[in-house]
Amino acid sequence: MGATLVLLRREVLKWVGRRPVLVISIVTPIFWIALFGKSFNIINLLNAAGAGVDPRLAAAIREAMLRAVERVFGTTDYFTYVATGMLAVFALFQSMFGAVGVVFDRRIGYMTRLLAAPIPRFSIFIAKVLGTLFRITVLSAILLAIAYGMGARFKPGLGPLDLAAAWLVIALLSLGLSSIFTGLAFNVYNQEVLFAVANLVNLPLMFSSSALFPREQMPSWLQAIAGVNPISHAADLIRYYLIGKTLEDPTLSLAYLVGLTAALLAIGYTLASRGLREA
Amino acid sequence: MPGYAIEAMNLTKIYMGRVRAVDGVSFKVGRGELFSLLGPNGAGKTTTIKMLSTLLKPTSGDALVEGYSVVRDPGRVRRVIGLVPQDLTADDEMTGWENVYIQARLYGLSGVEARRRTRELLEEFGLLDAAHRRVATYSGGMRRRLEIAMSLVHEPSVLFLDEPTLGLDVQSRRSLWRHIEELKRKGVTILLTTHYMEEAEKLSDRVAIMHRGRIVAVGSPEELKSRIQGDTVYIEPVDPADVQAIVKALQSAGFKASLAGGVVSVPVERAEEVLPAIARAVNGFKVKSMSIAKPTLEEVFIRLTGERLAGGEEAVDTFRFRRMLRSIRR
Repeated sequence: MGATLVLLRREVLKWVGRRPVLVISIVTPIFWIALFGKSFNIINLLNAAGAGVDPRLAAAIREAMLRAVERVFGTTDYFTYVATGMLAVFALFQSMFGAVGVVFDRRIGYMTRLLAAPIPRFSIFIAKVLGTLFRITVLSAILLAIAYGMGARFKPGLGPLDLAAAWLVIALLSLGLSSIFTGLAFNVYNQEVLFAVANLVNLPLMFSSSALFPREQMPSWLQAIAGVNPISHAADLIRYYLIGKTLEDPTLSLAYLVGLTAALLAIGYTLASRGLREA
Repeated sequence: MPGYAIEAMNLTKIYMGRVRAVDGVSFKVGRGELFSLLGPNGAGKTTTIKMLSTLLKPTSGDALVEGYSVVRDPGRVRRVIGLVPQDLTADDEMTGWENVYIQARLYGLSGVEARRRTRELLEEFGLLDAAHRRVATYSGGMRRRLEIAMSLVHEPSVLFLDEPTLGLDVQSRRSLWRHIEELKRKGVTILLTTHYMEEAEKLSDRVAIMHRGRIVAVGSPEELKSRIQGDTVYIEPVDPADVQAIVKALQSAGFKASLAGGVVSVPVERAEEVLPAIARAVNGFKVKSMSIAKPTLEEVFIRLTGERLAGGEEAVDTFRFRRMLRSIRR
């Protein structure tokens, strides 16, 4: 426990010390939500619908379509939809990048020092995972505040309990993903391998989830993939808590995330201890 | 308490089932002794130190450090040892202070204790002025001193130093030697590896000469040197093909000539007195140079192994190597 906290402190110290990285990691998701959310704004399309038709009929069409959109997206504002979904995607990307630190610790020799120290091997692993969780927590809060500033509409009567629940979802997703990536990183001696894995995994995981687009509107084969994709479950749960989008079975989604996180943690640590056996 | 700080018993490390990096090494190091492993790159010194510091598991054999087995009780061993690995290990994105402080906390010191110890160590190693600078800005000598400071946070009774002065300039090397001698005075048992015979000779109580994974001789520098009685005369012919003929000529003149690293070596009592006789014996060959070597550990090594200390190079991680060069250039 003590060693984990000390190593976690190092992670935070290093992160705060790297100002440019800090700034870029905040700016990047803003671009994402701004570009995706504001440019693919479906509502603008709706407002243009019914031109040249009887104004009352046009209004009825708009009304009907707006209902449909609200049912599918859980909000009439696509920006709000993407901004909340992006929290989950963001956790994925940060988990991946967080693991690169492991490879650098090995390359700069710091790992040797940790292995020679009388600390549990588990603390070396979990401190990295928790460091990533810390970064994601801070960045998610900033992202949420900015999304609010840019016009995201949360559900009426949003309370601290809803925020805590959304954080729990993000935390579960981050713990699971960063465990598996971190565990992998302990067996890798070259950061390029990790970047290759990131390229391979990140975009497919994002696009096969409900983060950017609702599952209901996907072809059935993609729906099946999105159904097991943890990004989907996380994104849907976050929306459930923050914007009040209906969700068939929140408890089931949450249970799925908990189970998956536990499994990924176990696999991640097994991988890590393999990589930590000898210096 | 057992009588020895370190007791290596038949330590063996075989890589990938065939490379015998360390091959049945046994030695004992007394409390407060400074013991050196001397040998060229690839002799197995670093692998030995890694096994003793629990970073590698021996393929067979065992070692006791302060009475604890490195195989069965690595956790206990880690508590009593300090390790200064050959590669730099400080985090150069952090300051010197942060590096030492975090190390102190990892070894279980409280915040207050850790701050006191960090200040004490940085002062002792002349790094207090640079304490709050990022390690990336440190010179090669400063980085080595920081590495040692980081290894001493918990006042270990046994310290492993793997090639501590590798790549340092003469002045930084001297300064580091003084620090090592000071630690020895404080009673710390030190095991040091080096391929600089001058370093081994100056610092060590006893030296073990390593060659191809084995220890070929152990003793104090004086003992080892006294094994080679007298001096050595080296003869290098213009044409390398002549060496065999020169050896024969010298042998028929009554000298114990032999080949060593491509030159002819002649062990003699006092070189100055027999030089004329040797010159007569090699008369007729085109000789490029003749030199006299007084007994040094290097001579001992050559006599024992038929090779020179500056041997083959180990494979280097280019990334680390560049970092090392960068830190040295400053």
